[in-house]
Parts: sequence; C-alpha cells; structure tokens
Amino acid sequence: MEEVTSPWRDRLEETALAPVTGTSRAYYAWVAFLLVVIAWGVYAYSRQLQDGLVVTGMRDRISWGLYITTFVFFIGISHAGTLISAILRVSQARWRTPITRMAEFITLVSLICGALFVIIDLGRPDRVLNVIRYGRWQSPIVWDVLAITTYITASTAYLFLPMIPDLALFRDKLAGRVSGWRMWLYRVLSVRWRGTHSQWQSMGAAMTTAMILIIPIAVSVHTVVSWIFAMTLREPWNSTIFGAFFVAGAIFSGVAMLIIVMAILRKVYHLEEYITEKHFVYLGYLLGTFSLIMVYGNVSEYLTTGYKMSEGTEFHFRQLFLGEFAGFYWFYLLGGLVLPGLLILLPLTRNIWGVVAASVLVVAAMWVERYFIVVAGFRVPLMPYEPSTYAPTWVEISVVAAGFALFALLITLFVKIFPIMAVWEVAEDEPTTEPEPAVARLPNGAAPEPAGGAGG
Amino acid sequence: MKSIAFKAAAAVLGAVGIAALSLTGTARAAHVVVDITVPDQPAIGQLMEVQAHFHSESNEAIADMAVTFHEEVTFGGVTSDVELGGAVTDEDGFAALTYDPRTAGTHEIHVRYTYADGEEEDAVASLTVPATGQQLYRSTAGVKIPGLNVWLLMALVAIVWAILLSVAFRVIAIAHADELPPVGRAGSIGSS
Repeated sequence: MEEVTSPWRDRLEETALAPVTGTSRAYYAWVAFLLVVIAWGVYAYSRQLQDGLVVTGMRDRISWGLYITTFVFFIGISHAGTLISAILRVSQARWRTPITRMAEFITLVSLICGALFVIIDLGRPDRVLNVIRYGRWQSPIVWDVLAITTYITASTAYLFLPMIPDLALFRDKLAGRVSGWRMWLYRVLSVRWRGTHSQWQSMGAAMTTAMILIIPIAVSVHTVVSWIFAMTLREPWNSTIFGAFFVAGAIFSGVAMLIIVMAILRKVYHLEEYITEKHFVYLGYLLGTFSLIMVYGNVSEYLTTGYKMSEGTEFHFRQLFLGEFAGFYWFYLLGGLVLPGLLILLPLTRNIWGVVAASVLVVAAMWVERYFIVVAGFRVPLMPYEPSTYAPTWVEISVVAAGFALFALLITLFVKIFPIMAVWEVAEDEPTTEPEPAVARLPNGAAPEPAGGAGG
Repeated sequence: MKSIAFKAAAAVLGAVGIAALSLTGTARAAHVVVDITVPDQPAIGQLMEVQAHFHSESNEAIADMAVTFHEEVTFGGVTSDVELGGAVTDEDGFAALTYDPRTAGTHEIHVRYTYADGEEEDAVASLTVPATGQQLYRSTAGVKIPGLNVWLLMALVAIVWAILLSVAFRVIAIAHADELPPVGRAGSIGSS
C-alpha cells in the first residue's frame, strides 16, 4: 500500500503512539496510588459482604445513599462520550475529531463503574439475578437493566468501530516495540484492516448505523434511570420533567467530565497541538448552554410544585432550601450552575483554565445534586413519624472512593493500551500549511468560529 | 344499630353566647347532646357510616355545626391522632362520615366540634371490628391501552439488538474484505 505521509502526519502518529511506547515513573506512582485506594475499597466492601448492609448508613426509611447517588452520577457521566461524540459526528462538526475517542472511553468506563454500584448497593450481589428470574416487565428496574446493557453494548461497538484503523496503525507501527500480548491484541482487534475500499465502506456503514442508534439509546438510559425515581410514590420525585431533567443533567456533567479528562490527558501526553483552546471553548459553550437549561429545569420544577405546596412538598422545600440539605442545594445552584455559566460567559475567563474550573465545579455539583435527589427524597416521611437521618459510614465512603479510583484507573489503562486519539479522523483535517503553535490558541476573549461549520 | 348518647361538657355557652341568646331570643339549651350511631357489625374493608346527631337537651336540632371525625391510630410504634373527615350538620342536626375500618380491634371514633364559647368539645364512640383473614388490598383496573404490553417492549428491544447485530456483521465483513488495494484517502491507515 502507498501510505499518505507528511511531517505533520508523522508527528500525529508519533503523538498517538507515545503513551503506549513510553512510561514514566509518575505513571507507575499514579497507578499504585489508585490501586491502593481500590484495595482499601475492596476491603471495605468485604466488610459489607461479611456483615451486611448494616455497616452502611442506610436503613429502612432511607434505603438509598452514596451508592445509588454514585450510580446515577456515573450513568450521567457516560453521556459524555457517546452522545456528545455521536451528536458531533451526526452534525459533522469537524473540530470534534481529537476528542471523540476520549469521550467514548469515558462512556464505557463510567458505565462499567456505574453498573458496579448497583450491584454493590444490593448487599447480596447474587440477588442481581433476581431481576432476570423474577423481574416484571412493568418494573422500571427491568427497563433500566435492559437499557444499560444495551447502552454498554452499543457504546463498546461505537468505541471499537472508529478505532479499527488506529488499531491497525498500532499493529503496523508498534511491531517489535511493545510486548507480545499487546501485538496479539492489536492484531485481533484490528480485524485484518488494510484500508481497502470495501473495508472503509463497511466501517462507514457500521459507524453511521451505530451513531444514529446510540443517540436514542443514550437518551433512553438516563430517562429510565430517572423513572426509577419518578415512578416511585415519593413526594419530591413526583415530576413529569424528571426524564428530560436527568438527560440534560447527564449531558451537562458528561461534558464537564470530558473537559477535565481532556485537560489532564492533553497536559500529560502533550496533545496541545491537537487539543487546542478552541476545543475547550466550544465544549464550554455547550456547558454554558446546559447550565442555562438546568437553571430553567430547576425553576420550572420547583416553582410549579411549590405553587401547589402539598404537605410533603413543604417538608421537602424546608429541608432543601433552609434545612439539612440547604448547603448542598445552594452549592449546586450557585456553584454548579450559575458560577460555571458566568465563567464561560465572561471573556476574561473564557479560556482553558476558566472552562476547566467551571467543569470541576459542575462535576462536583452534579454529584451533590444526585445525592440530595436520592437522600432528601427518601427523608420526606410517608407516615406521621419523625424524619429519619442518613450519614454515610466509612465503608460507603471507602467504596465510593474506590469507584472513582477505578474510573481513573480504567481511563489511565485505556489510554496506555489503545489509541488516545482517532488518528485517521484527525488526519483528515491535516492543515495545508503548518500552523505556528501560537496560531492554535485563541486570544483572550476572541470568539471561535461557529461549531460544526468550519474546519473541514 | 346501637345508639350511644353523650352529654358534652356542661359549660358550652359562655358569657358572650348567653348575651347573644338573650338578644335573639333563640331557645337554645345550655347543653349539647350528641348521639353517635355506628353499625352493629362492622367488618374490615367494608364501608360504613358513622352518624352524629346534634341536638339540645330539649331535642332541638343544631344545624350548620362544623364537625370533624378523628381516630387515635398506632402504626410502627407511633400513636397519632388521624382526622378521618369532616361534615357540617344538616337542618336536622345530623353529620355523617363514611368510614372504612382497615384493622381489626376496637376503634374509638372521636367527634369534635366547637360550640358557642369557642372551646373544642369531644364526644367518643367505640366500635369493635372482628378479625378476619380478609385481604384488603385490591389492585385497581387501571387504564388498559391495547397493544401496550410486554410484547411491545420486547419488540423494541429486539429491533435495537437486531440493528446492533447488523453492526457486528459489518465488523465481520471488514475482517473478510477483498484484497483490493487500499484507497489513498488522507486518513487511510493500513499495512503495505
């Protein structure tokens, strides 16, 4: 085959190969740290398995806590990837090319972590099979299992398909430079890719099918997750907009997580030439838009229920706005929705650091939002009894910390084994002239070109 | 039916009430008599009517009096006063509540009203509901929409998985593609 090559293209390939070929001490230290956190979490979970859920802060009245909070959070984060990547592909936004792979990694990893937390929350993990043995199709739990397993499968396919040419690149370029098992892995996963016309055709058709299919699947997943709450007779969850609200929140937190991961990988693996300020600002615009949608959702939800103010709503509003959860709620609203919006709106902070800071706030706030949706929802008494309290124990905190460490570890390992960028897609955007590094950056306050329209 | 008569607290009319009576000349008695009527044979889950008849000692009906019905309920170790409902006495002095006892045992139905001096008065009647093995929960019929059932869900899931399977077949097609030379597109990657 006659390969299309140029200095720019060679540099791109070397950048993509670099994480696989070189390993620093810091990398090992980071992995060791994550493994220690995970090991501690496994120990905590073993205590839970041994003694039962009594070692957690969950009781009969508040029976969901940190685990379900983290499950909902991770499922939300999973929208980072596939949905954003698919929407950008469908809308042919060329600027997406360097970031889609990371987004798709995040999706798969967060789905794995999220699904684990459902099993952890069960106490008796073997009882997860009861969903299949005794499940009723009328139950949102069954819909949830169906939706999440379909989404994991579709996301794996959607991650894998555009990776095939890059895996072939690794197979060809890394021969003799990496261990035998990796070469075997690249050989198997590249499915004899040679870049023939029919292979491009097959891959194009498969990708088109997958990216169109995955958008409704992703929307259905978080809608169904919200229905687990909204279809339960609890005053704070009596909402008709929960589905849309959860999907919006999922994309919101997903974009934020993508920005954080992008910033870290860009710094660690020197991807500055490909992931520029433009990408952060574009995703920042998306983040800003969704912060407005979330504010609108909050106003719409709380104003309508508050206007009617049933007995349970009054209790819920008191605990949310003034009482036990007030700190969480106001941080979420002001720190997680308003402040990130301002950081993106103001030209002074509309840069990489500003967008990353906004994203960190959004991710923290969205976890907090999941927490008070779950716990505050359960705290509203159904009968004339004193409201219960919930405080997570060291076991729950350790297991959740291990969950986040697992998320970071899987991302770390993924980028160490698989191509970090969609090289062939980025290569299609090869500039005709070599840009100076400074050109790739936007001056402070400058508005980038419209998303989707330029670049390619 | 058994009828239980209660004499409410003696001092129903205060000074203001007496003054009002003397001004209007209404022949109201100093005492309110409440007759509470409950069914002889109450049963769990069976609707019944609790009737309170308000009249003076001279048997004059007391109309337009707001009345509430209460019961002391113990659940999960917590005892609380539950308001069962409310009514206003009609021109014959009757106020009624449709009641559905949910548990066996003795139920004390409190009838509360406020008369003249503003103080709340309370009259009580008890009824004993015998224990049975009757199942109280009955699912409602709901709204049955033709075609909205498990098969629709299964069909939807099957369509999605069939499309995913078609994607898998495309991957197999990639692996078994012909040996034609690679296309020279900018992003093409393959072995020589």
